Amino acid sequence: MAVPDLCPDDLRPDDRPESRDELLDNSGRLRAPWRRMLGTLLGLGTATLRERRAEIDRALAEVGASAVLAGPGAAQWRCDPIPLLLTETEFLNIADRLAQRATVIERLLADVYGARHLLADGVLPPALLYPSPHYVRACRGIAQKRHVTLYAADLIRSADGAWRVLADRTAQPAGLAYVLENRRVMARVLPELFRNLDVAEVRPFFDAWADLLQRLVPAGVQNPGLALLTPGHGDQRWFEHVTLARTLGLALVEDGDLTVRDGAVWIKTLRGLQPVHVLMRRQDGRHVDPLELHSDRAAVTHGTPGLLQAMREGAVQVVNAPGAGYAEAPVLAAFLPDIAKNLLGEDLAMPSMPVLWLGDPTACGTVLAAPDTMIFRDALDGDAKPLVWAALTDTARAALLAEIAQNPGGFIAFPRAAASAAPCTGEGDMLEPRGVILRIFLIADGDGWRPLPGGLVRVLHDDDIAGGALPREALSKDVWVLREEGDILGSVGNLGSQALLIRRTAGDLPSRVADNFYWFGRYLERLDSAVRLLRALLARLGRGAVLPHEMPEIAVLAACLAEARIIDAELTTASGQAILAQALHQSLTDDKGRVAGLIADVQEVTARLRDRLSGEMYHSVSQGLRSLKGARLALRSARQLSQGPAPHGLLSDFCGRVLEFSATVSGYAAENMVRGGGRLFLDLGRRIERAQRIAIQIRHALDQRPERIEAGLALVLELCDSTITYRARYLNVVQPAPVLDLVLSDDGNPRGLAYQLTQARSLLAALGGGAEAELACLLDPLLAETRSIVADLLAADDQAVTAALMHDRLRAIETQLAALSDAVTRRYFAMLPMQSTAHLTQDGLVFTP
Amino acid sequence: MIYKLRHETRYDYVRDVDVATHYVHLGLRTLPWQRVISSSINATPQPSHFVTGLDCFGNGAGWLFMDTPHPRFAVVLDAVVEIGRQPCPDADATLAWEAVVQAAAKGGVDTVECTEFLYASPMIMPFAAMRAYSAVSFPPGCAVMAGLVDLTMRIRREFAFRTDASEIGTSLATILAQKAGVCQDFSHLMIAGLRALGLPARYASGYIRTRPPPGGKKLRGADQSHAWVSCWLGPAHGWLDVDPTNGVIVADEHVVLAYGRDFADVSPVLGVILGGGAHKVRVSVDLEPAEMPVRTS
Repeated sequence: MAVPDLCPDDLRPDDRPESRDELLDNSGRLRAPWRRMLGTLLGLGTATLRERRAEIDRALAEVGASAVLAGPGAAQWRCDPIPLLLTETEFLNIADRLAQRATVIERLLADVYGARHLLADGVLPPALLYPSPHYVRACRGIAQKRHVTLYAADLIRSADGAWRVLADRTAQPAGLAYVLENRRVMARVLPELFRNLDVAEVRPFFDAWADLLQRLVPAGVQNPGLALLTPGHGDQRWFEHVTLARTLGLALVEDGDLTVRDGAVWIKTLRGLQPVHVLMRRQDGRHVDPLELHSDRAAVTHGTPGLLQAMREGAVQVVNAPGAGYAEAPVLAAFLPDIAKNLLGEDLAMPSMPVLWLGDPTACGTVLAAPDTMIFRDALDGDAKPLVWAALTDTARAALLAEIAQNPGGFIAFPRAAASAAPCTGEGDMLEPRGVILRIFLIADGDGWRPLPGGLVRVLHDDDIAGGALPREALSKDVWVLREEGDILGSVGNLGSQALLIRRTAGDLPSRVADNFYWFGRYLERLDSAVRLLRALLARLGRGAVLPHEMPEIAVLAACLAEARIIDAELTTASGQAILAQALHQSLTDDKGRVAGLIADVQEVTARLRDRLSGEMYHSVSQGLRSLKGARLALRSARQLSQGPAPHGLLSDFCGRVLEFSATVSGYAAENMVRGGGRLFLDLGRRIERAQRIAIQIRHALDQRPERIEAGLALVLELCDSTITYRARYLNVVQPAPVLDLVLSDDGNPRGLAYQLTQARSLLAALGGGAEAELACLLDPLLAETRSIVADLLAADDQAVTAALMHDRLRAIETQLAALSDAVTRRYFAMLPMQSTAHLTQDGLVFTP
Repeated sequence: MIYKLRHETRYDYVRDVDVATHYVHLGLRTLPWQRVISSSINATPQPSHFVTGLDCFGNGAGWLFMDTPHPRFAVVLDAVVEIGRQPCPDADATLAWEAVVQAAAKGGVDTVECTEFLYASPMIMPFAAMRAYSAVSFPPGCAVMAGLVDLTMRIRREFAFRTDASEIGTSLATILAQKAGVCQDFSHLMIAGLRALGLPARYASGYIRTRPPPGGKKLRGADQSHAWVSCWLGPAHGWLDVDPTNGVIVADEHVVLAYGRDFADVSPVLGVILGGGAHKVRVSVDLEPAEMPVRTS
């Protein structure tokens, strides 16, 4: 073990004299909290730390933690093995001062959305309120219990050792799920580090938070509904939303799940509407209600119409309030001290990093006289990109100056700040000191604030700007608050002084989720059926010379594939075998091929159901999808290498793997999913899709001249995987009535039509809610028709002639199955009209001169 | 003068609308020169939930929720309103326009409300050409009232009223370039010009009394929605309404529904519907002097 690799000399950050070091003081001695951990760190050594870091990476990848970064898209969230240490005294000092700051911000929001005394008193210039893109004026006058329930502050420590606020987070403070994950993974991967240290637990904070959310429920409500509103699985913070919903016991809902009726907010579930009393908003507050917040008049893509009115009527508490993002305006840093004096009569205890508002002519003159070290930002929009003067081109500088001249009040400027440096595991033998930003979280607890005893550190890249920009790397650190003598933290926030309330989730399956499960089932079956057809056709084309009796079979299979849009419709009649074979290969192996499309459909719906599938099942499905993709790509490159079709054997093998995947998913669902809501819809989707496919295939197979009907019947048995059963019953005599009895009306044959129908009926019965009778009306005539078809065949003088005329009756069955699917959709999912059908209507004004 | 007012908005949908929420600005403002004697809003079909209150600008607003399928929707405002004369200051008594700009920029107790109307709004982005156009009416030291009247008259003279000249989405720059549009366009344009100079200006939605053609009979429903401009003249004189479409200072023939930053804030009937497909909308307005004495309670 290379002990010297942690030699303090190596750690001195002499290239950044202006920043403070978290580990060492100015004379190179270890700072107090680190003395207790250094022994363990030395014992591990950097090589081990790097191994542990990789282990942490793997553990975080497993849960799918992703991060929002400066670059495009989300990246894998990572956590450095070395936590940031804070003594309890230091932490409480920060937390107390932040609590006062949070109170100032709460009062500020109450004022700007209420009486606006700050404007009347001249403390806040109107130019810093009304033009703000985050001032949601429609919220003026809405009496919510509070504007900010969860507050977070980003802090950096300057060279003088003082923490200052870089940014206030009030809109929808993010990061708590990452705090939970970091701590969970650290405890698992690095148990040694916790030894000898009394690290404050983060978990009780979440229990207290869940409890506080319960307390926001209006008095007298028996069954409180609490939900978390997420933009959906495509959002970069989806991981956090899923984690928080689970941890806090909230229903996870999207726009389409909510409706406002009778002045209250409801979740559309399978059992009808369930009320929501507390809505944790994780969506831009400016888009929560398209009726009143209609900034984009062209399309209604976000929000729940009437939500603000439900807030006005006191039916729902939205946390944080939709307009709370106003307090993130970067310029407020310059005004908070005066605001604190005006609203609280106190000095602001936790200062901000200094900023200059260019709306003040003196400040503007100073900044523009020496802009070289300055960073410029939009005064009101914290989302706008900061501009580093030194990095701007001459053109960009001129443009910036012109904008400032036009509207100086729209800008702030501040010098580049140096964040303190904390030790991180690097690639070499030494620890690397790197800049850190510390995020601290507080929740409103009655009149006070309760801090999370811990936090989240984002490690800065050398080029990162501390202030306004997202870090470039998703590297974080856990934050450990070290308890000293006694148990001071235990008394913070008075947890335990009140008994926890009983919590219930607004948990019935939302219609959207049921819809997704239904389509999960349908897509799986669609994929399964397509691949069975492809395999059957490949087998015939791959035998070399096609036998004459196989020609009609090939035509039938091609027709089925064309109807399922797996291959082009023109190919069926062209029937050149080489061309057909090529089309099959393309369909199977091309990125834009239909099979890849079907696999992508399954993948998409799996992602939507991420929060509804058990970890094991999600993992198994994702892995199955990945391996299918790998196999398909291998086939494609084999085809490219050989400049011709891949061997039929390889293609059949790929088909086998797809079928295996589909069977595995079914098996998992049967073994591991609770037989209720989701699984019922998955099964229902499979049954209805399979019934449709069977009907289509039989129709095409019987579409023959009577003398050829026998070949068609044999094909029907093959496609329905029923050849062996048939032979066991009737040996080798193939006749229409017994064949159709087996595949159409025998409800004991799991690959037959009747089986799908009876299964669908019992699934609908299990769903309950009075739907069975209504939908069974559609199923029973279908079952009767399958029996009647067989009876008619038996009664026919010539079964072959009659069978060849079944085309229209089979077509009618297909039509009725489509009607059944529509009815299911209307009954269970129609409370969920697609967002795209929402329109904004407006009286067309024709004006009088 | 006492007027009887009826404003009906009717939507016909191609398919049934399943769920709809409408936000209406049909509550007449109470003003020193406007007294609302009676006012009622009725919708068909009957909404399952209907609430009235004030919006964030102090306008009367209503929220209507419909949750059963319906093929059409109509909302009717019936009101009786007494209009006096808008007090109109002497132009010479008003502040120099630069002083008004300064007072607004400074903020403070007299400007808490008016400064909301100084900045860009959803349908009114300031632009240089309009600033130049309006600056002509406000030479240095000019009394704000004199400049306002001059700008109102210039728009009346130089712009053609043409209903085919614009639609929702036509930019203000286009309106300025083609010198044609409807009252909403003129109002938005004038507001853009006033705000560009630093003067608080707001959008007024309402009605104007129209007279039958000479010798003709007034047609029912022929009156229409109207829009004009309200400009802040400083702490002493407050707001003054002017009508650039007709080139007048509002006196006793305009009925005010609502004030907002622009049309988007005070659209009389705005809805979000689910289902319904395409829709047809018809608006009819009747504003006429009350024939019989109106008993007030």
